[in-house]
Amino acid sequence: MTEKQRESFLKRFGRSAKEFLYGMAGHDMTRFALKTRGSMEHLFILITMGDLLGIPILPPYYSLRLLPYVVPQISTWKRRMLRERDLTDALA
Amino acid sequence: MNAILTIVIAGVGLWLGYFIYAKNINLNIVKPDDSKATPAKMYMDGVDFTPASKNVLFGYQFKSIAALGPIGGPIVAAQWGWLPALIWIILGTFFIGWVQDYASIIVPMRSEGDTFGALSYKLISPRARTILLVFIYLYLLLIMGAFGQVIGITFMSKPAVPFGILSVILMGLLAGQMTYKMKQDIILTTAITVVIAFFGIWLGQTSFITNIFEGLNNALGAGGQKYFWSIVFAIICYLGAVLPIWRWAQPTNYVSFWIVALGMVGGVIGMLVWNFQGGASFGDFPAFTGWTVKGLGPLWPILFVTIACGAISGWHSLVSSSGTARQIEKESDALPVGGGAMWMEMVLAVIALLTATAATGGWAAYQEAYAKGKFGVFAVGLAAFLSHIGIPTSFGVPYGLVFLTIQGLTISYLVVRFMRVASAELLGDAIPVMKNVHVGAIVALVLSLIVIWTGVWQTIWVLFGGANQMMASLALLIITIWLMSQGKQYNWTFWPFIFMYVTTIGALIYTAFWKALPAALAGTKVAGNIIAVVLAVVLLICAFILGYDGWQAISRYRRGEATVEA
Repeated sequence: MTEKQRESFLKRFGRSAKEFLYGMAGHDMTRFALKTRGSMEHLFILITMGDLLGIPILPPYYSLRLLPYVVPQISTWKRRMLRERDLTDALA
Repeated sequence: MNAILTIVIAGVGLWLGYFIYAKNINLNIVKPDDSKATPAKMYMDGVDFTPASKNVLFGYQFKSIAALGPIGGPIVAAQWGWLPALIWIILGTFFIGWVQDYASIIVPMRSEGDTFGALSYKLISPRARTILLVFIYLYLLLIMGAFGQVIGITFMSKPAVPFGILSVILMGLLAGQMTYKMKQDIILTTAITVVIAFFGIWLGQTSFITNIFEGLNNALGAGGQKYFWSIVFAIICYLGAVLPIWRWAQPTNYVSFWIVALGMVGGVIGMLVWNFQGGASFGDFPAFTGWTVKGLGPLWPILFVTIACGAISGWHSLVSSSGTARQIEKESDALPVGGGAMWMEMVLAVIALLTATAATGGWAAYQEAYAKGKFGVFAVGLAAFLSHIGIPTSFGVPYGLVFLTIQGLTISYLVVRFMRVASAELLGDAIPVMKNVHVGAIVALVLSLIVIWTGVWQTIWVLFGGANQMMASLALLIITIWLMSQGKQYNWTFWPFIFMYVTTIGALIYTAFWKALPAALAGTKVAGNIIAVVLAVVLLICAFILGYDGWQAISRYRRGEATVEA
């Protein structure tokens, strides 16, 4: 093994060990923060774009004004709203 | 026999199992294709589906599956001698454990991220999902009963433990505040909270603090202690289950992780040092004590449910299918993540077995520690290992007890959370008040306390192990049916399913009708034993219905009457 290969191996090993440690210690926290943000965004879309599902919470005028900001999230929001869920979805 | 030789045998099993058997199945049957988009990439929403690297997921999966189970099971199973326990840990992981964990990632990953609830509905029958949910609720209740008795009654009543636990929880709250409110650097947060938590554990075993708790325990009396400390356990779980997860459960788990991880690393180093000094031998610890152990029962089926996690565990299938499968970035990552984490847990179970055998140094010392409190053997063993890297036993034993208590507590918060979600799901429409988070959590905790206060620990542990292993066999059933639906070779999951299904049915029947019922009829712990019989019977009914529906589905697929789109 050349010096360069050894260095690259050590770098890879170090990175893997760091990621493993992060996976054990902090990944849950990061995941939860992302989940919370995602859920809040989806709730916001439900409030503003509720008309799409037949829930007239906000007058369509305001929905229309907010629409450009919501467009990037609509596909994931739709998928999440329509997905059938049960207890096993909440287990992890 | 000694510690190093045991580790070498486990290492050979790991090498053969992972690098030959598992890789062969992965390449020739499952055939991962990295060009296919996984659900994590296809449905990435930043909520449920988010891709993560295999190293991160390996750590996440291992942390999610390793709790009290892989530690407690081998210590209790050493009652049959070290050999049956070691054989089951290695062969159980080899033929069944990794198979379930790995396939529980593969199946949802190839089924658009569906969890086992949805898969049982689609692959087995519509009622299978409802029965699975009832089964999971009872399984969670038994986890609370088994862990609650150990934590609430055995550990918390030891004067050196409560202050350490209080320190870890307070530091968890501080970690949450520093991370989410004060936006402090995670390294600084970790350093401050972990160091103070360790200081709290040390302070907790000083005579000043232990005298306070001893005085409290004396004032409560033997009966009062049991109720007081189990109610403290329930209050901790209640707060963990109803407060925002960032405020309590998550940062407490984070600080706990460091306490546990440093203990494990220190224990392994101490064991190696001791071994090279010529110690860590099993002494007169017998390889095999007999086919039947008084208080536990016959080797088959009871040993196979006593050691659950560490060989095979249904909990893993839930974590793999609901959490990990939705984060897999490439199909080829499923084996190192699912299979690799299970093999690593096998190593943890072997180390737990060594704390009972090598660390105690002989049968008499093990029996003495076992008689004082089953899991306490681990604390004594860990302290013996740590003493070889300069940590005094006077600190090592309470540290080991705090280590075990927080291992159980961190899972218990989550279990109560799941139980309240489950009760809202199952009963929310009929009884709307069950949708209230406080009502759901209180109902879960009241049921848990009834099991904790009335139950016989060995019976509850075996029922918990039985429910856990039954969950594993149901996961293997779903996986087998999925493999059939895809026209793939299924013997590698079908025979493990048959073995686990028959074994766990046997264990539940034995526990209910050979142990709990005769004990109740003889007037011993009548309420607890009747509850155990009722729980076992309900679990058996659920298992029979799911088994029947599963068999119908298998027959359907064998006749080619039903197929699922790839």
